[in-house]
Amino acid sequence: MFSTGFKYFLGVTVLSIAALIMSLFVLDQVAIAGVAISMLIVVTALLAGIAVVTRDGQTTTSTPDASNELASQSMWPLVTSIGVVLLALGLVTSSIVFFTGVIVLLAALAEWMIQSWSERASKDKNYNAAARKRVLNPIEFPVLAALGLGVVIYSFSRIMLTVNKTTGATLFIVFGALVLIAGILFAVKPELKRSLVVAICVFGAVGIFTAGVISATSGVREELVAAKAESHELPECGAERSEHFDKEATGTLSLRSSVSATIELLDGKLTAQVVGFNKPQNTVTVRRSTPTSLIFRNLDAKEYRLVAELGTRTLVEPEGATEKNLVCTQLTAQGSEQLLLLDIAKSPKAGTSYSLTVPGVEGQSIELVVP
Amino acid sequence: MTSVWIMLVKKSRAILGFAAISIVAASCGTNAPQDTWQPKGPNSKIIDDLQRPVFAVAGIIGLIVAVAVIYTLIKYRDRGQPIPEQTHGKPALEITLTIIPALILAVVAVFTFGAIFKLAKTDDTEMIINVTGQQWWWEYDYPTQNEFGITQPIISSGQLVMPVGTKVLLRETSRDVIHSYWIPALNGKRDAVPGRVQTLRLEADAPGIYAGQCTEFCGLSHANMRMEAVALSKADFAKWVANQQAAYVAPAKDSLAQQGEEVFLNQCVRCHQVNGLMRADGTPAIAAPDENVWSGSAPNLTHLMSRNTFAGASFDLLSKQCRDEVWNAPSDVVGTKYLAGVTEECLNQKDLRSWLRNAPAMLPMYANATQLKATGGKYRGMPYLALTEDDISKLVAYLLTLK
Ligand code: HEC
Ligand SMILES: [Cu+2]
Repeated sequence: MFSTGFKYFLGVTVLSIAALIMSLFVLDQVAIAGVAISMLIVVTALLAGIAVVTRDGQTTTSTPDASNELASQSMWPLVTSIGVVLLALGLVTSSIVFFTGVIVLLAALAEWMIQSWSERASKDKNYNAAARKRVLNPIEFPVLAALGLGVVIYSFSRIMLTVNKTTGATLFIVFGALVLIAGILFAVKPELKRSLVVAICVFGAVGIFTAGVISATSGVREELVAAKAESHELPECGAERSEHFDKEATGTLSLRSSVSATIELLDGKLTAQVVGFNKPQNTVTVRRSTPTSLIFRNLDAKEYRLVAELGTRTLVEPEGATEKNLVCTQLTAQGSEQLLLLDIAKSPKAGTSYSLTVPGVEGQSIELVVP
Repeated sequence: MTSVWIMLVKKSRAILGFAAISIVAASCGTNAPQDTWQPKGPNSKIIDDLQRPVFAVAGIIGLIVAVAVIYTLIKYRDRGQPIPEQTHGKPALEITLTIIPALILAVVAVFTFGAIFKLAKTDDTEMIINVTGQQWWWEYDYPTQNEFGITQPIISSGQLVMPVGTKVLLRETSRDVIHSYWIPALNGKRDAVPGRVQTLRLEADAPGIYAGQCTEFCGLSHANMRMEAVALSKADFAKWVANQQAAYVAPAKDSLAQQGEEVFLNQCVRCHQVNGLMRADGTPAIAAPDENVWSGSAPNLTHLMSRNTFAGASFDLLSKQCRDEVWNAPSDVVGTKYLAGVTEECLNQKDLRSWLRNAPAMLPMYANATQLKATGGKYRGMPYLALTEDDISKLVAYLLTLK
């Protein structure tokens, strides 16, 4: 008498009512969860009503006769046991193994259950196979596709980290072109043999995967190793060029709309164009604990960088020692711009002040006011 | 059949009548400080001049459509007549009915863009105020601007104080989530977005207090996050500036307030800055809200009693009677009343004491450190501090000296 859909929604409604009652006892801040669960109750109750009125939208149902065949061979028991082993191993080794186990186990159980259900759905084998596909393909295809793509992309990224930059660019172009060519080929020749298409795709994927494994084992390219070894925490803020920090300085900026001020160096003079002010300023307000971006625009002939001098900081090693707390842009060529991001937690100590300076340009500074 | 019809007509008349009365009643609300239909400055007038005609045009069209629909419904209702001949498409009519609305929208668009550009202008700015939103209050800081006597930065919260007849430009940003600044009587809304600086023009025609409300959902206490713009005459504004820059006056020796200062140094200075306050060892007390509060900031209390509200303007520092006196004052004396600040007789003891007793009980805030995994134990508001009633009395006495 009650349709499947009705029973389902009724179940969810009852469960959510139980959840609502429980949340009253368990949660401190019921407001948001309570509203959400109440909404769920309303919606599922409504759906249950609709389901019972429309009898799940069905008037007649015809189910083929039940089957009495034996279950066929299946790989899912095997995969399930692998999942269990991974799960147990993961408990004592690492959480990655544990979660892999959980995922394998759940996936295998789902596949297994649906397979054995579908095999008994009717006497008709074709109907059974179709039933299985109808349930599982919408999940299997996207998941497998995402996994496959993930492996290909990850392998490709390993390759790009290993080869040097020019080779990297060339590879990228070649690879993109090959994908494009293959795509065009498949599109204009739909009569192409299925096995050939599969062979091309598998060949490409396996090729990239192998190259990825080889690259991953041979390590990233030298300059990345060097950059990693260099401390990123402390950029070198002097007037001279720093080996890694100033490498490949970009001359362009995005994020233009969000800056607080533009600091310009022209004819050896430093001025601040602060958003909102119509005249150049010689102080810039940086609010406490607020990320504030400044643009440094160099209009002078030499390369310069903008340095924010933010008092001193205490070092851990040697104990009690202090050093200047500096934040700076990269060296900036004439006509170029660089972004400087500041986030200052406290006002300067009494009697001191924070400022913006340009090493190599004497007597010019802009005060950073932190109210 | 007819009797049902008559009954329906009667009922709908009653409903229409009721709706009309409510609309008229709503538009007559006098105590509606956040009414968008009462512009009190040139910027909100630009918006008002746009919205009134558009509203009228839209209203007339809406009425025509409604009447046409109702007429059709009644005239062609099912009386058992045969289904008339079915046709498809009338190009001339369809094109006309596309072009007319397009033309109307084009005209509206021209004026809308005009208004948008006028409201986006920044090259006629006379005064700058930085506005920073955080859960759940607004901070204002005034960069040095010698032409207004602001020779050192001023920092305040809750109430934005500005001179009348002056083109003020707010530079808005946020310390945590997106907020939105809105004083309906003075201008439209502008979002305060972390990492960005967005500008909003404000100008008030007459001295007075103009209420507003954060209008971007920003968490538990969003509905309580209010603000007020206080417009003062230029002379009064100069007085306000002078007072904000006045040096710290320590409470008299052996007074209750002095004991309060001690409690304040122990309990409050880790979050709240009071400029000029010294520790017992003679070093200046520097607040470290960045270590305690998620947004990295707590209101600067140096001149707390010069403002009339606290905690994101959710509560009044003035008692009901004193508050009404300021709010209802005619515009020529409102400045004087406002500048009087909060005196001991006028202080809203009840709310301030409750706030110090247990702030999270007054506003929903995430201020229980044990439940703050996401913020690394930092509070999103003022926490419960387990103060004794004695300490609270001392603190209130001390806070009263922060004029
Ligand atoms: C952990 C940090 C912290 C401590 C400690 C703290 N506060 Fe607060 N206080 C805040 C924050 C954050 C706000 C803003 C809350 C809001 O408006 O929603 C606030 C608001 C206030 C306000 C309202 C100010 C205004 O302009 O809106 C007063 C008054 C106040 N606190 C007094 C005190 C006193 C007195 C103490 C010491 C007993 C104290 N606070 C201790 C964080 C703190
Ligand atoms: Cu807000």
